[in-house]
Amino acid sequence: MLKYSIKRIFLALITAFIILTLTFFLVKSLGIQDTSFGQKEHVRIAFFANQINLGYVVRFDHEVSGYGRLLATLTDSEGVWYYYERPLIEQYGAWLKNIVTKWDWGTSTVIEPNVSAIEIIKQRLPVSLKINIVSVVISVPLGIALGIWAGLKKNTWIDHTISTLVMIFISIPYFVIVSLMMYFLCFKNQLLPSIWPSPNATTGYKIAGYIIPVVSLSFGSVCGYTRFVRAELCEVMSSEYLLLARTKGLTKNQAITRHALKNAFVPILPSILAEFIGVFGGSMVLEKLYGINGIGDLYISAINNKDYNVLMVDMAIFTTVGLLAGIILDLSYGFIDPRIRMGEKK
Amino acid sequence: MKKTDKDFEFTNLPEECNDSSIKKEDFKFVKVDPSFHETKFETKPTTFLKDSVKRFRKNKSSVVAAYVLGALVLLAIVVPLASPYDVSKPGDTSLYNLQPKLFNGGGFWDGTTTMKNIAVDASDPDQTKWRPDPTRFLEDGISNLTISNAQYTDQANEYSREGYVNVGYFGSSNFTSLNSRVCTATLKPAQYSIYLNEFDTVNEEKIKLYNEYYDEPYLTDDILPKNSELGEVTLQFNYEDEEGKHFVIDLLTPKKVHNIGSPLLLPDTEPIDISPIILAKSGFTTEFNRYWFSIKVSKDPLSTSSDKDILSLIKKLTIMPDVSLASSKVLEYFTGYLNNVGVYIPGINFDNAGSFVARSSLIKDGVNSFTNTGYWSFNEYDINSSFKKVHLAVCHFASFTYDTYKATLGKRNMVIEDSEINEWCDKGWLYLSFDYDDITLEIYPDTFVCVILNSDRCPLVEPFDYTDIYLYHYDDETFFSVKTDILYYKKLGYVTMPKFLFGTDKTGRDMFKYVFEGLRNSLLLGILTFVVCFLFGLLWGAISGYFGGTVDLVMERFTDILSGVPWIVVMTIVILKTEKSNFWTFALALCLTGWIGTASLTRTQFYRFRGREYVLASRTLGASDARLIAKHILPNAMGTIITSSVLMIPTVIFEEATISYLGLGFKNLSSLGVILSNNQNELTTHPYQLIFPAVVIALVMIAFNLFGNGLRDAINPSLKGEEE
Repeated sequence: MLKYSIKRIFLALITAFIILTLTFFLVKSLGIQDTSFGQKEHVRIAFFANQINLGYVVRFDHEVSGYGRLLATLTDSEGVWYYYERPLIEQYGAWLKNIVTKWDWGTSTVIEPNVSAIEIIKQRLPVSLKINIVSVVISVPLGIALGIWAGLKKNTWIDHTISTLVMIFISIPYFVIVSLMMYFLCFKNQLLPSIWPSPNATTGYKIAGYIIPVVSLSFGSVCGYTRFVRAELCEVMSSEYLLLARTKGLTKNQAITRHALKNAFVPILPSILAEFIGVFGGSMVLEKLYGINGIGDLYISAINNKDYNVLMVDMAIFTTVGLLAGIILDLSYGFIDPRIRMGEKK
Repeated sequence: MKKTDKDFEFTNLPEECNDSSIKKEDFKFVKVDPSFHETKFETKPTTFLKDSVKRFRKNKSSVVAAYVLGALVLLAIVVPLASPYDVSKPGDTSLYNLQPKLFNGGGFWDGTTTMKNIAVDASDPDQTKWRPDPTRFLEDGISNLTISNAQYTDQANEYSREGYVNVGYFGSSNFTSLNSRVCTATLKPAQYSIYLNEFDTVNEEKIKLYNEYYDEPYLTDDILPKNSELGEVTLQFNYEDEEGKHFVIDLLTPKKVHNIGSPLLLPDTEPIDISPIILAKSGFTTEFNRYWFSIKVSKDPLSTSSDKDILSLIKKLTIMPDVSLASSKVLEYFTGYLNNVGVYIPGINFDNAGSFVARSSLIKDGVNSFTNTGYWSFNEYDINSSFKKVHLAVCHFASFTYDTYKATLGKRNMVIEDSEINEWCDKGWLYLSFDYDDITLEIYPDTFVCVILNSDRCPLVEPFDYTDIYLYHYDDETFFSVKTDILYYKKLGYVTMPKFLFGTDKTGRDMFKYVFEGLRNSLLLGILTFVVCFLFGLLWGAISGYFGGTVDLVMERFTDILSGVPWIVVMTIVILKTEKSNFWTFALALCLTGWIGTASLTRTQFYRFRGREYVLASRTLGASDARLIAKHILPNAMGTIITSSVLMIPTVIFEEATISYLGLGFKNLSSLGVILSNNQNELTTHPYQLIFPAVVIALVMIAFNLFGNGLRDAINPSLKGEEE
């Protein structure tokens, strides 16, 4: 088990590494965005000094041909400098070295100029985290409860209603739900704040601000869990060991709690664990729509502004979260049900 | 041994069965022939397809979904071809934001909206003449107008008067987050902003206005009367100049003051006193720990510089709260900066203190005087903020039914140029002939004939008179224009009043056609991606599953890495890389990771079937790998693979809509996501522009999923009930 876990984590690290490397080359091949263009000389020199420091740019006191793209020619007290973009592979080396040796992911160029990308993430992450945790805490029990209810009342009107609603809500795009909620709850009836409250707002107002993000985030996972739990429970309910449990004299409730639920939860629990890993990601649509300064919103603005360093850190988080959730999902199967041996050879 | 009826004996029969009326002889063998034969089926043998269709039909919801889907696909094909409206470019301004119209009257889906709480201009003594803003609501469209009594409102508008401004800030906050708020002042019409250090002095009798949308400054003097007065002002600024010298600017009684929307009115006489400030009483606002203060602006008595110079000197601005009004709490000082784009005053939270209303002050422009209806506001960029700005402003509100079609497309009195009149004449809709002997001298024409020939097409309501004609000369040529009543929809070329089933958007496009064109593009993208991904995934999965071993291992690792990349990352890289996102880029981005699902499904199916006896039998007979894959394994696996993969189409539509919605999608092509994204800002004002596309995309998704699930259940009954 331990060996397998280590192997999986190692593989995931390699995968993350390959993904980030690929992304780095693809993104960087677009060229350095000179955001200081058109500004004063000393601002530009400062900008390029930072780029040199990060290892993306190199400067010469004379023109060189065939080295790379000439980005700018600037004059300071020491004379004229020619700034060249370093070859991609050298940039990659510098980037990797900074991360490995100093855990320095570079600085932002547009979003918050010259602030370290890690710092920006640190500022943005807590908001996303808070919303996601509240949403998971609410949606997981609710989804499970609905799923159990529907599963136990299989083929009754309760089951049909729940299944139909799940079908509908899982099909409607998420941003449609958010828009409609905002229209009816914020604009038409003005019950809730129409935008994420500022940190200065009162506690009551802040709590009111949680309602739309949490409810809209919960829709999907409540539906997912309801469907999942219902399917698992239905399968278990028709199994022979449950029939045996009933024939040996257990009441229906006893049979359900002692046998059916326990077995139905074997595949469900791992996905709950994976869900908790997922709280580190941010929802891009929600954060954009509701004006939340989280990491999902950051991702969109990093793409739109071509702020590559921030984009890379954000992407690293999203990738790691995705891979980690997969590992947790697989590993926890083995913990919950010892009969399952992940990765075992046939 | 042949059995006879004697071999059968009844034993232990209950009493009542021992009825002597039924005798052994009453029973006969149906068949005594010892050999039995199979009879032929009387019904026809069914095929797999027929059986599937039968099973599918039993699933009522899937059948309904299939019909809905069929109808939507049909509409997506037919509507863009059949609709006469042009959605490729913005329409005429009169077509902007028309409400959805299906019925003629009735109050529902008939092109009308019920407007509530619209401020009316109550300056006229005759209450029947009170109307809402005529630039927003044209007279012809208004019906069932009812006007409320005077109300106190927390949100000032151009027609409210007598209100109080709150200038406040959150007591416990620091001001770091406020640095991006630009404060500009707004006057009616609201799109004009005036920047503080850009206005001229009174003597020049000019007011420089900036249009917010174009950075070009221009001078205007017809929007506001020159040299007009405004009401009381309650701001005081202490400021320091560049050398750190301290000044106090007092705002004085505004006698000769520009009517501009700036709190810094140019003073030339007495300072004014602090106005009373009233705290907000409603909503969330009372919850804030706010301090209230008034500020005054007064000129340093020692200063000899002109007013304009003083303003240009302001580099650093300190706003000092009035402690006496702040319940004796110690207030922090805070500073702001004036620069050439406006005023930054970080201490004031403009969410809460924004505009203030000129209090029934008279505007005198030398000859006339009238009540000022202009208002001032700090214009923050956050237009969605529902925070209160002015407290207890007095206003009359109206509710009425507004017919957008009647208002903008119906009868309108307007000036028409001769080129257009001539065009109507050329088309044979109108006959016009008039003649002057000497056009520069005569007022009345010698002959004048104007006859409408084609009353269906000619936009004129009735023939105009020569008095409606305005003649003018330029370069020895004579031109004319006519001011008359026309039916505007006929001017646009419609014979009858057009009906826009889904309304029109903010650029005058027919939403009905636009939405279904978007749906068509989304569907095309979905189907194209499905076909490409399906074929590639099938090939990949077949090779990986059939050969197994090292080949499988390497191919699996590859898909592992690829599927580890979040799809939005792949999408953005492709989009960033190609710099523009068109249909093909998008399809490519979706295909990059889209095939993985099909591939892994195919792989499992191949694992399942490749060891079967019939495959082995074929192989021993010498069948090649290709033949085994194509002729034996694939046909068996196909049903499962194709039905599961069909659900890729709604997924692709969903992904496209999401990414378009985030603003990274199609740039020059419509799709449901693009439409929803474009119309997002209309949510408060024209919700139908979002609701119709939202309903269509929801219907498509629901129908596709139900249909896909039904199809899968029908083709693979063993999978029934499984949701994934």
